Amino acid sequence: MKIKISIIALALTGMWACQPELNEFVPTKGNADFTTYMSAGNSLTAGYSDGALYKSGQQNSYAAIIAMQMEAVGRTGDFKVPFMETEDGVGLRGANLVTKMEMGYSVDCKGVASLSPVFANPNASQQELAVLIGTPIGEAGPYHNVAVPGAKVGHLLAPGYGTLNPFYGRFASAAGNAVVNEFANINPTFFSLWIGNNDVLGYATSGGIGDIITPIEGTPGIGFAASYEAVVQYFEASATGGIVANIPDITSIPFFTTVPYNPIVLTEQAQVDALNAGYAAYNGAMELFQSPLRITWALGQNPMVIADASIQVPPGYEALKMRQITAEELVLLSIPQDSIKCGGWGSLKPVPDQFILTSQEKTNVANAVASYNEVIAGVAEAHDLALVDANKYMKLASNGGLKMDGVMFTNAFVTGNLFSTDGVHLTPQGNAVVANFFIDAINEKYNSKIPKVPVSEYNAVLLP
Amino acid sequence: MIKSFIFSLLFAVAGMSVIAGGYQVRLQGNKSTGMGLTGTALNLGSSSIFYNPGALSLMKEKMDFSVGASGIISRITFEKSGSQYQAETENPMSTPFYLYGAGKISDKWTVGLGVYTPYGSSAKWNDDWAGSLLIQNISLKAIFIQPTVAYKINDKLGIGAGFVYAYGTVKLAKSLNYGSGTGAELEGTSSNMGFNLGVFYTPTEKLSVGVNYRSKVLAEVKGGDATFSVPQSIQSLVPTNNKFDATLPMPGNLDFGLSYQASEKLLVSLELNWVMWSVYDTLTFEFEESGSRLNSSNPRLYKDTFIPRLGFEYKLNDMVTLRAGGYYDPSPTDENYFNPETVSLNTIAFTLGLSVKPTEKLSIDLSYLQLTGLKAEKSYSPENFAGTYKSAAYIPGIGVSYHF
Repeated sequence: MKIKISIIALALTGMWACQPELNEFVPTKGNADFTTYMSAGNSLTAGYSDGALYKSGQQNSYAAIIAMQMEAVGRTGDFKVPFMETEDGVGLRGANLVTKMEMGYSVDCKGVASLSPVFANPNASQQELAVLIGTPIGEAGPYHNVAVPGAKVGHLLAPGYGTLNPFYGRFASAAGNAVVNEFANINPTFFSLWIGNNDVLGYATSGGIGDIITPIEGTPGIGFAASYEAVVQYFEASATGGIVANIPDITSIPFFTTVPYNPIVLTEQAQVDALNAGYAAYNGAMELFQSPLRITWALGQNPMVIADASIQVPPGYEALKMRQITAEELVLLSIPQDSIKCGGWGSLKPVPDQFILTSQEKTNVANAVASYNEVIAGVAEAHDLALVDANKYMKLASNGGLKMDGVMFTNAFVTGNLFSTDGVHLTPQGNAVVANFFIDAINEKYNSKIPKVPVSEYNAVLLP
Repeated sequence: MIKSFIFSLLFAVAGMSVIAGGYQVRLQGNKSTGMGLTGTALNLGSSSIFYNPGALSLMKEKMDFSVGASGIISRITFEKSGSQYQAETENPMSTPFYLYGAGKISDKWTVGLGVYTPYGSSAKWNDDWAGSLLIQNISLKAIFIQPTVAYKINDKLGIGAGFVYAYGTVKLAKSLNYGSGTGAELEGTSSNMGFNLGVFYTPTEKLSVGVNYRSKVLAEVKGGDATFSVPQSIQSLVPTNNKFDATLPMPGNLDFGLSYQASEKLLVSLELNWVMWSVYDTLTFEFEESGSRLNSSNPRLYKDTFIPRLGFEYKLNDMVTLRAGGYYDPSPTDENYFNPETVSLNTIAFTLGLSVKPTEKLSIDLSYLQLTGLKAEKSYSPENFAGTYKSAAYIPGIGVSYHF
């Protein structure tokens, strides 16, 4: 009797503490060799974020996340990143050097304070930022993440590119190097390449006037197709596997989708009448020139008036090269909001072309992205590489959103979790999402099992 | 004395761990627990207030009291799909209890009162685990108070009915995607009603059959406290202090039982429980302020389950009775709507029991229940959160019954 009780008591105490064990996911390298991973690309791969290259942004780049996850499948050694020294970092806005942005309060021309991106250090001098970006760290290399903000595909092949682009110059192992010459310093067994966005983004972010779209045809360094092929070949000097990513439809990123086309709100009939009277001469002239263009105003929201150099007018009437924007056309995030609110932009004065992506420019961008992606798919196939369909994922994010671990990712500015305060580059959480897409594609292609990363361990845009 | 004991139990009660299908906890009598949690066709004395009020009318004794509790030690392990990421719950031990008293007021009529805890769930994940945007921790508790009356139609047939007053508390926390330390905490109480009906029939001296219906009870939280920890800049959109309404259904049960006295010493009990989980279709939260932004409708899509049970009782001698049993409790969850707030897996259970009677009137009832939640990969598709879960629970219990 007593024995039985003690047997039961023993059984009870012995079993209590058992934690169920799971061992479902066993990382394997499959058909790939991940011993030495190297990544190349542009600002997206560098971890540029919030309008600048800064240390924690670089730590959270999708390339750094992939490198961390590859440790489970045989990657060895450091994954060396050319870190910026500071957390405020350095970015390029126009011709000016700036720090990163963060969410804060700014006061507009009407004295209204609102939540918006502000510089982390608005008082940083050009000189100190130039020192930060100009400090050479090439000797501390070689680096595994050789991504260069601003680089187009042809730039990677350009000898001495570091003298033109300080984001490369700072970590170049030799002044006369092209970026592709860095590959042999590492001799990667596996590479990733996400390049080509800037070949069309520069055109788009300048409203179609500040830069050209890289042509498909042309020799390496000039044409997109030959340049892309050449860069991959540099990798294949040592690598036995790799992954490339295509170009998302850049016109669906927040930089192009945040500012509405019709922010001119008229609440009084007197305003409407005054504007209509003001544009009567324009409308009369257009009628005379047998152009269908008219500028009209009504109560409520009105489309902005924009400059459009493509409008045909007789000599002497160049001032009339303007029209109202259509709903399909895009206003860039770079437009000075105060100029709309207080400077009469869009109503009394046409918005300069550099802040608008017109329908024609949008089509040019879409065509370029489509033809680049054909090239990238062709290279991936010819070299038997994994391919990330970034274009497809961007479409999903901008059409209803992508959900992961309870986080909704969309192309909404700040609230969409995917894009940082500059509206172009990824948040840390967005980088984790992209890293998982890369890992999915690698695993599928190479029959490997690289573990994915939980996105909830990374931050989206932080609010004050 | 009894009264103060009731109150101390009420205040001592901790959350019930997730131990069975959904958040039902059937540990409402230690004799029954030892026999695979069967009880519908057993004449259990006052414990029949829960298992089958019909059996109460055929209670052998004039007065019967029964009190007991179990300690649930539960463990859950999670591995995220496509990764080596693992998380474990740190569930506090929870202690469902019961307290019954019944007495014959005439040859035909028996009355009784039961206080018990048939539903509950608690899961405590780390605050920053990978599923924290779905749930960090949750605790559901329900205490049922059931006055009961039973009527003996003849020596073989009895019926009984109980009115149920259910008091529930719910508390849950989840993080929000505004960075570390941000999140929402909801806390509320409910008071609702239900009923418990049973028929008990002994066609022969050796055979008993029972049917028991316990109605669903909707735990309706009205005006619960919602606390949102969000960045200061959006507190005008998401107020830090808010009120919420939500309803969590506790499903109805229809139980069929059969017991057979195979020999003078051996009793066999068979049972089938129909648990009407399909009532739990959607969990909706409505908020008093910023409702258009905060209200949510969360699909759960539970399905009815059928639980087969088998139990044995072996009377070793006048002083010692041994029990054993087992059952299979299928998960009521949909594999694409499996939320880590209620990790309910297909579960295999084994039970052991032992009663010792130091005197003719007093019985000390020990029980032990071990649950194995079978490993399964599940996802909560509305939030795209998937992984493999495995669970285990170890539940010792002790009770005392006294009759005269």
